[in-house]
Amino acid sequence: MFRRILTLPTGRIAVGIIAFIALLAVAGPFLAPYDPLEGGAEILAGPSGAHWLGTDYLGRDVLSRLLDGSRVSVLGSIQVSLVALVAGVIPGILSVYLGSVFEWVTLRLADTLIALPFLVFAVAVTALLGNGIPQAMFTVGIMISPLFFRVSRAATLSVARSQYVEAALISGASVGWVVRKHVWVKVLPPIAVALANTAGIGFVVVSSLTFLGIGVQPPAPTWGGVLAADLGYLSFRPWAPLVPTFLIMATVWACNLLADAIRDVSGEAGRALLLNRGRGHVPARTA
Amino acid sequence: MSLLEITDLDVHYRRRTGRLHVLRSVSLSLSPGETVGVIGETGSGKSTLARTILGLVKASAGRIAIDGTDVASLKPRQWRELRRRGVVQYVFQDPLRSLDPDLTVLDSLAEPLRIQGAAGIRDKILKILARVRLDEALLDRLPGELSGGQRQRVAVARALITEPRLVLLDEPVSALDSANRVQVLELLKELRDAGTALLFISHDLGSVAGIADRIAVLYEGEIVEDRPSADVINAPVHPYTRKLIRSVPTLRRADRRTPEGIPA
Amino acid sequence: MSLLALRDVKIAYDREIVHGVSFTLEPGAVVGIVGESGSGKTLTCRAALGILPEHFRISGGSIELDGHDVASLTPKQWTALRGSTISAVFQDPASYLNPSLTIGSQVAEVVRVKLGLGRRAARLRAVELLASVRLPAAVYKQYPHELSGGMLQRSLIAAAIAAQPKVLIADEATTALDVTVQAEILDLLAELRESTGLALVVVSHDLAVVAQFCDEVLVMRDGTVVEQGPVEKILYQPEHEYTRLLIEEHESYGLERYLVTS
Ligand SMILES: Nc1ncnc2c1ncn2[C@@H]1O[C@H](COP(=O)(O)OP(=O)(O)OP(=O)(O)O)[C@@H](O)[C@H]1O
Ligand SMILES: Nc1ncnc2c1ncn2[C@@H]1O[C@H](COP(=O)(O)OP(=O)(O)OP(=O)(O)O)[C@@H](O)[C@H]1O
Ligand SMILES: [Mg+2]
Ligand SMILES: [Mg+2]
Repeated sequence: MFRRILTLPTGRIAVGIIAFIALLAVAGPFLAPYDPLEGGAEILAGPSGAHWLGTDYLGRDVLSRLLDGSRVSVLGSIQVSLVALVAGVIPGILSVYLGSVFEWVTLRLADTLIALPFLVFAVAVTALLGNGIPQAMFTVGIMISPLFFRVSRAATLSVARSQYVEAALISGASVGWVVRKHVWVKVLPPIAVALANTAGIGFVVVSSLTFLGIGVQPPAPTWGGVLAADLGYLSFRPWAPLVPTFLIMATVWACNLLADAIRDVSGEAGRALLLNRGRGHVPARTA
Repeated sequence: MSLLEITDLDVHYRRRTGRLHVLRSVSLSLSPGETVGVIGETGSGKSTLARTILGLVKASAGRIAIDGTDVASLKPRQWRELRRRGVVQYVFQDPLRSLDPDLTVLDSLAEPLRIQGAAGIRDKILKILARVRLDEALLDRLPGELSGGQRQRVAVARALITEPRLVLLDEPVSALDSANRVQVLELLKELRDAGTALLFISHDLGSVAGIADRIAVLYEGEIVEDRPSADVINAPVHPYTRKLIRSVPTLRRADRRTPEGIPA
Repeated sequence: MSLLALRDVKIAYDREIVHGVSFTLEPGAVVGIVGESGSGKTLTCRAALGILPEHFRISGGSIELDGHDVASLTPKQWTALRGSTISAVFQDPASYLNPSLTIGSQVAEVVRVKLGLGRRAARLRAVELLASVRLPAAVYKQYPHELSGGMLQRSLIAAAIAAQPKVLIADEATTALDVTVQAEILDLLAELRESTGLALVVVSHDLAVVAQFCDEVLVMRDGTVVEQGPVEKILYQPEHEYTRLLIEEHESYGLERYLVTS
């Protein structure tokens, strides 16, 4: 599947950008020319040979802060996605197989989570659990998990009722076999799409939380934090917010692009199109 | 002893609009080496009968015994054991829906064998392919990339590959041209002669008459006739059977007959 | 003027699969296609509807539909033509229905969109259509998985004739029906033929159906039309050996053989 994603131009762009950001996250802190926490003499300086992106209100090198902050931002987004994935997909698939009580409980839980206002909840929980990156990301992941719950449940449901699963059961297949051989491949593409989308959302959320000062202790740099600092001194360096904004947006955009590419190659779009075309006389609902 | 013994089977479907009584007090038995044809109106419950025997639909009353075991008493584990031994297999009415769209023909054919943990999978596949006259080149295709008749033969091959002792066939030749149909029917006859029991559901009376020892006629969920094939074809008793046999189209154009209503 | 004309239509993807099919269909006429499984009958029908599977293309010849050369049609024009001018019932009925919508709503939608009827009127018309294919009224509110194979097929026929098409392609459209219902459906189509001039392309493995229903027959094998002509000639004086084989094999499992003539 990965190779097929790379055959699409959008897929290549998305993977390229994401690879670049990942590289930043791994190598960024080592590449930073200055200590991101150490202030210098020049305050709010413009770009120069010594400080490519200038310095902030404490005289810290902005480039170093961005490079160093990339790890926290990317790791945060990955954490959010993983928590959402695990907390959503497993109950999503099991809700189809584990009987009506489990199904009822998980459905209500998912509805409740969706109904809660997002940021307010995140702020409240970090206040409760303490202000740290893991707590914040965990909370956000749980908040997003209903998306995974729904996607994986819907896919599992449609597969579970299908005749090819019945055909496997007639041949003596166990539930484990059915999930491995039939359910999994059908559930995977929509989950991959959801995952790419969540990584984007996670990124925005991590950035906005750190922008608000939630989740990280102030001196530690993050992209959202740099953006917040830049916004505070707009009159001195009006162009400054563009750099972190651009980084955040490019990442989110790449994630969404990747989601589209997965959807294209996973054949879901192809099959739906064939159906619509095949249904000929029944006009496509989606049109 | 009979391989399949059904007594007073009742089946209901639960719907939003109420319960639908599909099978009423159906009794049927099938011995090794015997073939029973099931014919009947569309929607009369033929597929439901097959699906109930397989445990895909729950019976509301009656008894089904496969190989002497009352299947109602089986725990899920035991059911799985019975199925895995390959005692009973099913050819679904709609071949396209019964094949996983993401599995190649090869993987679909191999699945029942892999579940059993059998050896020599590839040889078995090639052997059965030849017997249903499918080209080896189709093994790498997905079900959506086959013609209707090719898919149907894959579905038949899949059901026969574990050499089950009881095979329920739901319209197994409906999408085949006459030459391929004869081929599949001959294959089934060979299996029957080797001791396999067949339940052959079809609207094609010619095929049923050609292969079945007995014909059971299902009408509105009841078996209204269950007699030797030649008797049912030549001296139908129930009005529906008579109407059915009178309506069979023939090659002679002038023979076109419009069916009359069944007297109540 | 003919409603549908295929001239030496060839279909290919990596290699050529259909090597030239030609026929013309006048209003009220019925052309039958019979032949070996996998010979390209369904592909030919799909080409006429502009719905070839992915990677397939028309590699030669031309198709004219109701005065339009289909090669020049835009997807939008195609959508407008399908349903109202040309319509089809295919093998494997379940894959052409949306599993999460009731049968009635899917038939009513065709009526609403293609004939521009209001919701109420479309609903009434859909109920009528379902009755015309001998389905009980309860089917309107049922989902595809709750129907038997024959009921699904009839629902699809109802949807296909809903927008009063001029050409109907019936690819094994009556295989899942018992012969009495099949006769009723064929009568219904014959009626439409008389009253509205509906033209049909009938693909069938049942030579008897073809014998009773078609004017002209094409016999296909391996992508080639081996014989073509009026139904009487093809079925009663076949020239090609494959046609002879088909008829012979048909009779070897024909019911006639088992009827003891008294
Ligand atoms: N899952 C289901 N839920 C509710 N009703 C069902 C379900 N499956 C089938 N039915 C109904 O049960 C009846 C019998 O269906 P069945 O599929 O057994 O008929 P059949 O004899 O196989 O017909 P055909 O020859 O058309 O395939 C039909 O009226 C059908 O609508
Ligand atoms: N999507 C596809 N990809 C590859 N090959 C295909 C595809 N669809 C059909 N074919 C091949 O093209 C040939 C013609 O197929 P087609 O469906 O037209 O046959 P048919 O005459 O309708 O046969 P049947 O009577 O069995 O339905 C077959 O050999 C089939 O395997
Ligand atoms: Mg059926
Ligand atoms: Mg076909």
